[in-house]
Amino acid sequence: MSQDKNASNLPASWLWGAVALGALGVLGSYAAAGPERFWANWVFWFVLLFTLGLGSLFIVALEHLVNAKWSVPIRRIPERLATLLIPSIPVGLIALGAIPVLYPGARPEAAHHPLLAGKAFWLSMPFFSARTVVALALCLLGLWVLVGGSLKQDATKDPAFNFKARKFAPAFMAIFALVVTLVAFDWISGLTPEWYSDIFGVYVFAGAFLSGLAATALAVLHLQDQGRLEGVRGDHLYNLGGFLFAFTVFWSYIGFAQYMLMWYANLPDEVIWYKVRLQGSWHLITLVLAGLHFVLPFFALVTRDSKKDPRRLRRVAYLMLGAHVLDIYWLIFPILGASPRFSWPELSFALFFLGGILLWARGAMQKGEDMPVGDPFLREGLEFRL
Amino acid sequence: MPETSYAVLGVFETPDALMKAIPQARAAKLGTVEAYTPYAIHGIEEALGLRRSPLGGMVLVMGILGAITAFGFQYWISAIDYPIITGGKGAGSWEAFIPIMFEVTVLFATFTAGLGMLFLLNKLPFFGHPVLSSKSIKGITRDRYVLAVEAESEAFDSAAAARTLQAAGAIEIEALPAPDRSPFLTSDYILRTLGGIFIACVVAGLAMYFATKWFPVLAPMKYMHEQPRLNAQKASDFFKDGHGMQQPVPGTVARGYLPTATGTQEEAASLVNPLPRTPEVFALGKKVYTNRCEVCHGAVGNGVGSLTAAYGAKPANLQAQQFLDYPDGKIYWAIVNGKNSMPSHAPYLSERERWAVVDYVRALQRAQNAKDEDLKVATR
Repeated sequence: MSQDKNASNLPASWLWGAVALGALGVLGSYAAAGPERFWANWVFWFVLLFTLGLGSLFIVALEHLVNAKWSVPIRRIPERLATLLIPSIPVGLIALGAIPVLYPGARPEAAHHPLLAGKAFWLSMPFFSARTVVALALCLLGLWVLVGGSLKQDATKDPAFNFKARKFAPAFMAIFALVVTLVAFDWISGLTPEWYSDIFGVYVFAGAFLSGLAATALAVLHLQDQGRLEGVRGDHLYNLGGFLFAFTVFWSYIGFAQYMLMWYANLPDEVIWYKVRLQGSWHLITLVLAGLHFVLPFFALVTRDSKKDPRRLRRVAYLMLGAHVLDIYWLIFPILGASPRFSWPELSFALFFLGGILLWARGAMQKGEDMPVGDPFLREGLEFRL
Repeated sequence: MPETSYAVLGVFETPDALMKAIPQARAAKLGTVEAYTPYAIHGIEEALGLRRSPLGGMVLVMGILGAITAFGFQYWISAIDYPIITGGKGAGSWEAFIPIMFEVTVLFATFTAGLGMLFLLNKLPFFGHPVLSSKSIKGITRDRYVLAVEAESEAFDSAAAARTLQAAGAIEIEALPAPDRSPFLTSDYILRTLGGIFIACVVAGLAMYFATKWFPVLAPMKYMHEQPRLNAQKASDFFKDGHGMQQPVPGTVARGYLPTATGTQEEAASLVNPLPRTPEVFALGKKVYTNRCEVCHGAVGNGVGSLTAAYGAKPANLQAQQFLDYPDGKIYWAIVNGKNSMPSHAPYLSERERWAVVDYVRALQRAQNAKDEDLKVATR
């Protein structure tokens, strides 16, 4: 535990150093490793940043949707993490530069490709970019209403926000489904436009929600180490752990259902996507992903006590974040070739973005109240018992 | 109190009073302390010192066992006992097993949870808990909170238990005598249960019988029987000729079979004998030739068999130059389709036997036209 504490207390100067060093490597990788690899890394981190922010916003919206009381004391944490959607806007707009390089559907040849000709307009650069801008704008809208309103409530103590959020949450769920599906289809499965999977948006949603949950659990535990979030107890942690447990199973269910149907039907345009991932080193990574994303967390969280135990929960939360990173890597990087790429360009990107995310999250964690003090349900949430 | 006690009950007005009384009642160490409340009270299981239920562990073990069972079943059936290639997948394809494994895992786990709770932990069949016949039961199901000190042995001091509960703040005390009959399974309970099940079965059976008899609309679902599938020996609208059974597509070879000779003899010339030339194959060829061919074609294949004269036919002299020049495929075609007055032997001989005969005929021809180097091979 002490080691984890140290990790959370990295001096800000180190993080700034990591960002600066990473930025050098990022720029160098464009020149030295070629644009394809640069843009693959950029899209990878855009998807990670975006899914983390959107998954956190989903937790907030879910609470308002089902009128949950238990999560009110910790709601400020996913609200703060959801602000990662703000830096994801410039990152996403820069990622538009990847479209002509990485996305075959946006190239002029696509018009003559027998499988892509019909989708050429949808996959074209202008429409692709427009969809991304709309998706980012919709996220910003959700952030403004749900998180902005909640922050304002700290001062006003006006319960009108709860009614407003409860009305807005169902609409946001529809927006969320649209946004997460668009981003998953465009940015990830658009890399291999011949391949298609109806369930893919749900698959990415499961990963996004898990990453949001894991980050929330980690942040809650770190703040508790610093003596903050007084009143949040094992019962609240139990619910977070239960959500993590349930959604590792959900992720595996969706991932396996997608795989099994394609494996069974054995249609060339579908299995090719899996064939790449089931050969050579990618096969090993696929197995490791199944182990880290399902088997290990499943057995780590299966007992009742393990969901309440802060040490166990912290380890599983780290594991789930790592597994989500590996999941997105597994989705994106096979386009670069049969052997997985990982060396200094990837490390530079990791330094740059991880440093940035940690700086942003830490800044967000210091701002304002740790709990939504204006929420009339806060007391009820603190009294929550299993 | 002369009669033996089951328990002494203390009635409390609020859950807080009950929670406060629990440690005192337990500290007196008079017997097992049990609480009866209209709803669950947070923290009461810790206060009563209840052990964690072993049900979770049982469910986990049985769930894993269910997964292993389902995997073993399917693997044994589809990879060991009766391997069938379906959809081009290997016989032991684990991917196809997963849904069944999931279902059986859930089945084992839920059955363990339900039945384990009822029979192992709640000790059913358990007819009538003594507290149900107490005076306090009305309050327990409504707005009273009852603490019971249960007798563990004959030496139970019910007066001391009553005093302890009173001191802990109970507003009412009720001594509950031991029930005059066992609440557990006894022979008359078994008889009553079995009788009840029997009557239920009779009633349900009669109801089903008359329901389907008087209301034929309720006929059992027949969709599976009436689906538009092909049945053996039955007509079908699906094909132009109206037959349900169809000839195989020309040129196809069934899995596990060898190509057979259809078409003309000239077309069959290109067929290649797929059998390896091993002693077993020649032994098989010799056996089949002796049984089926020798009576006409003769022991050495020269067309002079034991039946030749009586039958009045002229079987082919397989030693003639014409047949020495035949490719294997043309001999094979003659066996399959017959030639002149020779009938087809396809109904009696498997593909393997036919090709073995072809090899044996080749051996006969070579034996009759042996060269010097053949002799060297034979004597070596």
